[in-house]
Amino acid sequence: MPGKHVNRLAVGLLAMLVLLAVIAVPGAAFAHAALITTDPGDGAVLAQSPTQFSLTFSEPVSPLVLTLVQPDGTPLQLTAFRLSDRMVEIDNPQTLKSGTHVLSWRVISADGHPVGGAVLFSVGAPSARPAVNEAVDWDLRSAIWIGKVFLYIGLFLGGGGAFALAWLAQGGHSGQRFVIAAILCGLVATPLSLGLQGLDALGAPLARLAQPVVWQTALDTSFGWTVLIALVALGLGLLSLAGRSGAKLFALAGLTGAGAALAASGHASAAEPQWLTRPMVFLHGAGIAFWAGALVPLGLAVRRQPAKAGSFLRRFSRAIPFVAAVLAAAGIVLAVIQVQTPAALVGTAYGQLLLVKLVLLVFLFTLAAVNRWKLTAPAEAGETEVQRRLVRSIGIETLIVLAIFGVAAGWRFTPPPRALAIAAAQPASVHIHALKAMADLSITPGHAGPVAASMVIMTGDFGPLDAREVTLVLSKPDSGIGPIKRSATKPGDGSWRVEGLIIPVPGRWMARIDILVSDFEMVKIQAPIDIRP
Amino acid sequence: MKKYLLAAGTLVVLGTSGAFAHVTLETQEAAVGSTYKAVLRVPHGCDGKATTAVRVQIPEGVISVKPMPKPGWTLQVKKGKYEKSYQLYGQAVASGVKEVDWSGGSLPDEFYDEFVFRGTLAADLPAGEKLYFPVVQECDGAADRWIEIPAAGQDEDALEYPAPGIKLLPKK
Repeated sequence: MPGKHVNRLAVGLLAMLVLLAVIAVPGAAFAHAALITTDPGDGAVLAQSPTQFSLTFSEPVSPLVLTLVQPDGTPLQLTAFRLSDRMVEIDNPQTLKSGTHVLSWRVISADGHPVGGAVLFSVGAPSARPAVNEAVDWDLRSAIWIGKVFLYIGLFLGGGGAFALAWLAQGGHSGQRFVIAAILCGLVATPLSLGLQGLDALGAPLARLAQPVVWQTALDTSFGWTVLIALVALGLGLLSLAGRSGAKLFALAGLTGAGAALAASGHASAAEPQWLTRPMVFLHGAGIAFWAGALVPLGLAVRRQPAKAGSFLRRFSRAIPFVAAVLAAAGIVLAVIQVQTPAALVGTAYGQLLLVKLVLLVFLFTLAAVNRWKLTAPAEAGETEVQRRLVRSIGIETLIVLAIFGVAAGWRFTPPPRALAIAAAQPASVHIHALKAMADLSITPGHAGPVAASMVIMTGDFGPLDAREVTLVLSKPDSGIGPIKRSATKPGDGSWRVEGLIIPVPGRWMARIDILVSDFEMVKIQAPIDIRP
Repeated sequence: MKKYLLAAGTLVVLGTSGAFAHVTLETQEAAVGSTYKAVLRVPHGCDGKATTAVRVQIPEGVISVKPMPKPGWTLQVKKGKYEKSYQLYGQAVASGVKEVDWSGGSLPDEFYDEFVFRGTLAADLPAGEKLYFPVVQECDGAADRWIEIPAAGQDEDALEYPAPGIKLLPKK
């Protein structure tokens, strides 16, 4: 009876893991958030101290740290803010002295990765730019990277190893000590990673690791789910090694948990379409755990007890082609979604890491294929020389796997080309307000090249304005360009559009909108708009 | 130096030809309380196209307007109420012509023509200021709108399509 009891417990835990993974999936999918507009605008010179600031992003975000650095360099924490859809409205608690201020912001989006930036504006007249610490904290970055590698070791070598011992070795104990050590590694690294995530989220140095607010912040990010699920998965792996009864179910739950932990946060899981990316990350993670976890126990088994290792080797080699196929397929799908264009493989840090990983994978798959189709049969038959070669090969495979973990952990710091493309596609917008009329102008995408402009025209007091004609005039006097004049058309949704416009160079352009209010009355309004490179 | 002179010369030439190319009034000043004969000078079509209609908006304070018919053009007026009542030869005038249209003609780009109307400048118009007569010049499928009125302090020469105007002189 106790055996059955334990089984039921394991099934319950497995169900809980799946449930956790489902809860962890947010309602809508988002990539890295990109800042679209700010009020005051970057570089603005205001006549008076503003009563509030606003930041508008490409998607909803949660602010982590908002700091106003005053002209004399003293920082002021801004704590009163409101969220309305994609906009963060921040109260300014005091009247600002004249001079240049820096509004430094740090927010988190749904992939669990914090993003930050700064807006520079002046009251009265510009002064020297106050010093703002924007340097990368390399100590923290290294710590996060190491934490991530150990988390992978725990989940894949530990959790996956426990699975291999329970399902493939069937009673063999070679490598058990290594697996336990890997799980313990993971159990230490996982909570530490949470604290490091909190530090990164707040932009705080390593010295503040002990503060509760750091941990609370990290728990509120999607990485909190990864940590919770990983801890449960590692615990299940350890349980499977401890008792005899239920070991298989515990180990299976542990392997499932390893996949679910990865699927709960990160670039790949946050990508669209969610119904595809999250299961793919799950399969990829579970596949890695199956393969990588079996390597060390298998190698040790073949070396120490060649006679008993035969059945272990047979089961592993029968399953591995399918597992590798699923692993590779999921990886390819995710890579295509993330990288989008072949050019991004070379042109972005994310793509370069992927190339390094692919090179390592070529070695790994070559070794694995030789092992599987050349060495396995003779080794099973008991040829000692071949067995020795197989053990050495498995050792090298393990090292390559560790190197791949290192590369994959580096992705934590590189936004994927997909997110970069989303950010690049964001429009440049400006609100032009004059006494007689006002307009919301947005140029999509907001960088130099072929663009489309969209304008919503209103009267000066936000009333409807049924203009007869609208003309957009763009000029860049400092580059001697312009005016580029295009009459807008009405697509019927209340806006005015100019298609097929080409903005030749990035920088600050002057946008003028000529609004023909009635047959004999024209209103011209204008404002500068920043076009990204 | 030579370059600068050349640039300056080009600017002057372009500037003047630009000013000549506008639709303007022949007589550029008139005393308030007098009768004014407005001669609209149309020097060219819209972007090379022949002019097919000329419409002028009569500003508030210009009363008792009578346009001169023109052979080959259909003359129409739009009448309406003035913002207030004016005294003309001892009689109150509260409504009259607000817009004059010459249409249905064809004035090729390479020819010049004039469009004439007459009106009385009310005695209470502010002397010393400018009074503008916005004009819409219509061509086949295009239009030039000479309707821009400079904002306070704005240089009239900076406008792309300035409305023709006159300077109001004190009453004689």
